[in-house]
Amino acid sequence: MIQTGLIQSAHNDLVTHAAYDFYGLRLATCSLDQRIKIWQLDESNGNWGAEDDWKAHDAAVSRVCWAHPEFGSIIASSSFDRTVKIWEQTPMGAQENPQPINGTQPASVLSSRWAERAMLIDARGTVRAVEFAPHYFGLKFASISTDNHIRVYECLEQPSLANWLLSEEIDILALPSTSSPSSVSLAFATPTQTSATLEGASASLVAQALQQSQSQTGVQIRPGMGNREADGGWCLSWCKDRYWGEVIAAGCGIGGTVKIIQLSPSRRPTTLLVLDPSPTPYADEGTPPPAPAPSITIPATSTTNDSDSTPAPYAITSIAWAPSCGRSYHLIATGSRDGHVRIWRVKPGDEGGEPEEGESEGKWTASVVADFDHHKSAVGSVEWNITGTVLSSAGNDGRIRLWKATSGNVWRPAGSIGVEQTEEQQDADVDMDDNAAAS
Amino acid sequence: MAVSQHLNLAPPLVHSGRVDELIQQGQTLSASLSPSSNSLAVFVTSTATRVQKADHSEEQPVYFASIDATPSSDRRLFVSDTSVIFAAFRNLMNAAHDESLEWLQSEKNYNIIRKLAIDYINHIKECWIHVSQPTGSLESSLQFSSDHYRSLYTCFSLFVVLYLPEFGLDDAPVGDDLMEWLNTHFIEPSTEEGDQLSGLERPWEDDTFWPYLTRATLRGLSKASVFFLDILSKHPSEDLQRLSKELKPLINSQPNLQNFSAERDFAYSSRRWNDKVKSLRLDLDRVPEEDRHDGFDNWWDRVSDIVGVLEGREEVILKICEEIGGDWKEVAVAWGVFADIRLRRQDIPEIVGQVLDDMPPDPTNIEDMIHSALFGGQPAKALEFAAKLDPWLAAHLADFMDALNLIETEAEEESGVSLRDQYTLEYADYLHSDSALWRITVVYLCSCGNIGKERADEVILRVPLQLRRRKDITVVSSEEERIRAGDVVGVLKEVNATCFEYHREEVRRTICRIAAQIFVEDKDFGLAVSYCASAEDWPGLGRVVDRVLEEYITNGPAHFARYVADIAPSLQALRSQPGSPGVFVHRLMFAVRYAGFQRRRMDLELQDAALDLVAMLHEDIAPKAWWGILLCDAVDFLQVDPTLLFSYSEAITLLQTLQEIFTRSEQNSGDDYLSILIRTIKGGEKEALDRLKTVRLWLARYFARCTVIGVGGKHVTERRSYAVS
Repeated sequence: MIQTGLIQSAHNDLVTHAAYDFYGLRLATCSLDQRIKIWQLDESNGNWGAEDDWKAHDAAVSRVCWAHPEFGSIIASSSFDRTVKIWEQTPMGAQENPQPINGTQPASVLSSRWAERAMLIDARGTVRAVEFAPHYFGLKFASISTDNHIRVYECLEQPSLANWLLSEEIDILALPSTSSPSSVSLAFATPTQTSATLEGASASLVAQALQQSQSQTGVQIRPGMGNREADGGWCLSWCKDRYWGEVIAAGCGIGGTVKIIQLSPSRRPTTLLVLDPSPTPYADEGTPPPAPAPSITIPATSTTNDSDSTPAPYAITSIAWAPSCGRSYHLIATGSRDGHVRIWRVKPGDEGGEPEEGESEGKWTASVVADFDHHKSAVGSVEWNITGTVLSSAGNDGRIRLWKATSGNVWRPAGSIGVEQTEEQQDADVDMDDNAAAS
Repeated sequence: MAVSQHLNLAPPLVHSGRVDELIQQGQTLSASLSPSSNSLAVFVTSTATRVQKADHSEEQPVYFASIDATPSSDRRLFVSDTSVIFAAFRNLMNAAHDESLEWLQSEKNYNIIRKLAIDYINHIKECWIHVSQPTGSLESSLQFSSDHYRSLYTCFSLFVVLYLPEFGLDDAPVGDDLMEWLNTHFIEPSTEEGDQLSGLERPWEDDTFWPYLTRATLRGLSKASVFFLDILSKHPSEDLQRLSKELKPLINSQPNLQNFSAERDFAYSSRRWNDKVKSLRLDLDRVPEEDRHDGFDNWWDRVSDIVGVLEGREEVILKICEEIGGDWKEVAVAWGVFADIRLRRQDIPEIVGQVLDDMPPDPTNIEDMIHSALFGGQPAKALEFAAKLDPWLAAHLADFMDALNLIETEAEEESGVSLRDQYTLEYADYLHSDSALWRITVVYLCSCGNIGKERADEVILRVPLQLRRRKDITVVSSEEERIRAGDVVGVLKEVNATCFEYHREEVRRTICRIAAQIFVEDKDFGLAVSYCASAEDWPGLGRVVDRVLEEYITNGPAHFARYVADIAPSLQALRSQPGSPGVFVHRLMFAVRYAGFQRRRMDLELQDAALDLVAMLHEDIAPKAWWGILLCDAVDFLQVDPTLLFSYSEAITLLQTLQEIFTRSEQNSGDDYLSILIRTIKGGEKEALDRLKTVRLWLARYFARCTVIGVGGKHVTERRSYAVS
């Protein structure tokens, strides 16, 4: 492990997400400051310079993602303002009217070359994730919002990017699955539990934030939403493989399961499989709950009372479907609020076999091939490298952790990253030696 | 090993061990992995869902970190040099794939394998020497120490000594080879010691004298041994003088396998030599107890040790090694030279096993662990340690081990990769830390079956095509631009060639589609069309043509004609290309024909232009949406006086076309026919239809002129028939 660069001041508030472009030469970052920034790598010296910067949304931007380059230079952003926006980099020179796309642009900063091409406003909750489909399915993306819906949009007019068809709108909870989590209803707990489960300052912060967002977006938020918004997780990931058609893994709310959903132009979406780690009753392990950091909002114990047999569910905060790269099975990583990073090995069902009525999920099978609780606190994100050989996870322990498959297909820790002061601050040489010895 | 890898980023955000402070502020880290290398962007994010901006702005950094350090220039040289050998070895293995097992084991091919292994060793050695040179520019940037390459050198050499002996010698005594290896890589006793001792008047009075002499003997360094035995002729003890004199020829004459053509002769000679050693022992034993001390040391004990070594007494060898600070390697090698001179390669693990029980290897020294695993006949274990030392070593050793059937060659069920592939993939992973090494990364990946090839796909896809470079430069001369464009296509071509070489057609097509998209954005329509065609991306081709036609709509005919000139040459090729769907080629054809028409019109070749115009309608080349445009274009030609540019029947074609638009518009299909016209005149459907009414007017006048000039007759008949139909 070695540090290779730094952008001293990327945003004026916490960064919510960062996404490399297809070639890793540009980085899109988004932030609570409602802005998106594009950074360009100078390959000659390894420095990152700002290329563009604009106010993208009226609330925090939750996620950015890049479309495949065969469609051009396009990004999608999702936001707490309940919208998804599509941005396109406009070719230089072709911009006949160099008026800024947004009025707030300070004159000193280079004028934005990213134009808003579309705004999708169907979500009835904050949009938490957006991801473009694999390119062979066309210019298409899926978003997930706190109304528990996946929405799939397809671009109708490619050069203009103005018209997007809402081709699927899937209520994840309503989508039938044989092992549907029974505990989903407890998501709508009473508001008092919010402050009960959250510690002082942080609780008020969230409440305040939610209140402000409410007044800002002008949309009424149902009572009880606060708890759900804070405890829940809404995430999705496309299957990267073309062979299986359009398949999405998604998690929503505080149900600790992931649904693998098949989309088909001719049929309604079907659940292929539900990834459910709950057969392992963590409550019975006698392990102490994750470190009492203020942010960790373990679903209140009271919620478990109404269903004694079911252990408290933990929201899945992040899903990453690995590129299959010649493997005969899929790898899906999940990060959840129970502090676990799990890697699922998912085997597709018999080829060509039509899923039988009510038996659809029996076709695909899954098993956990790795389960790490090193973060000891809620896991915020998981992500694969391009070959699906390295998994990164981020937790509320202030650490990035890396995981690699070693001989015998055993997944092992492969390093971690933190921001603590070291004894010797000039440790670049030490890192290099470490690397030489360890790599 | 990897577990302990922890990196703290700078500037730090909290004091050491106080990460909870960060968490208490509701902050934690998150990261995103780069597709171009094994690096990550790390940023500070909030631990809880937060919607609102912070009250006050606070600078938030983004850090970048890499799992592996990008290879430095010397390392890169090593990596690329050795990749050439790797490729040669793979060629041989690919050839072997189609042949029988014996083919690879033939003397010729075995010798090739051995030669390639020795090539690796020579490269490592060169690199080691290069890195060892204290050149000012290098010292600070050294990524791998010279000691690192020395380790690679010892390990790879040992592998060849033990597992890749000269052809036919795999069942020959191995002692001499091992001793040579040990003396090459672990030089003891040191030359400095020897120099220092040789400068002394009475070196035997020095503490290091006897250990030096003993070790030189143990290492088979006969010259050094004889030199100091010579000096002992000046020793006060007459017994020692005599004994050292007797020892000299013995040490000089120890039979060496290399000097014998048959092992039997070697064994016979060794037995006779042993007899001489025994008689020396008898001689030694006759020295009275009181004469065995020279006032400094008990010289007799020392000489006895030396003779013990020559006799091949196991306990003496072990004892001496412990005394002189030798390790298990020294014991094991001496064993093969003195104790069991006919020691075979296959017997080494047993002997080494015994030695290791007494003198275990140093678990903190990876190199030593690799040596012991190789000696111990555990190649797979050696790979495990090699991977920790350097993924390069594990990958290249595994390549040979697999070819020699030393490790399991079948793919492991769970992961679907063999042991060899696993280490090769790991090395490729390391190479991926430097995107500039993509070619080499792909070579290694593509040697690992389907899994490797599909991983290579991801690497190839992400090679930056660098088609956008010219944007960074504000003022570019046309010549520079051409060169740059040529350069650009070069990179793309190289990626293409790689895809062809490894049959990665899907990837090649994707890359062509990406390139086409970029060319379209840069209005390099000619290149865009050829890359669409190369990718067989027909809808993409259609989109490119649309974009070209769009140029007409937004920028007018002159611009349009220039762009079409770029794409026109592709049309011919496309029409002859089998499998190209007509509909998209058709659209391209229209663009080319329409541009041709516009050019003729601008060049005032009016008669030809008029012919073109009607032909496009008549031959059904013009898409419906463009009919209106064509008809409006016709107005100019209808007005030309006195020449009648259209024949009567041609004028009828125009009228028929016009009529169809009006009819369809009444049936609410106007959009299909008028969309382009509406856009060019920047009006609505009504304005478009008004415009077409003017066309009708001009057509009517044209027909009137036809009648006046008296070209009626036949045409009148035609006209009547049209009216009837």
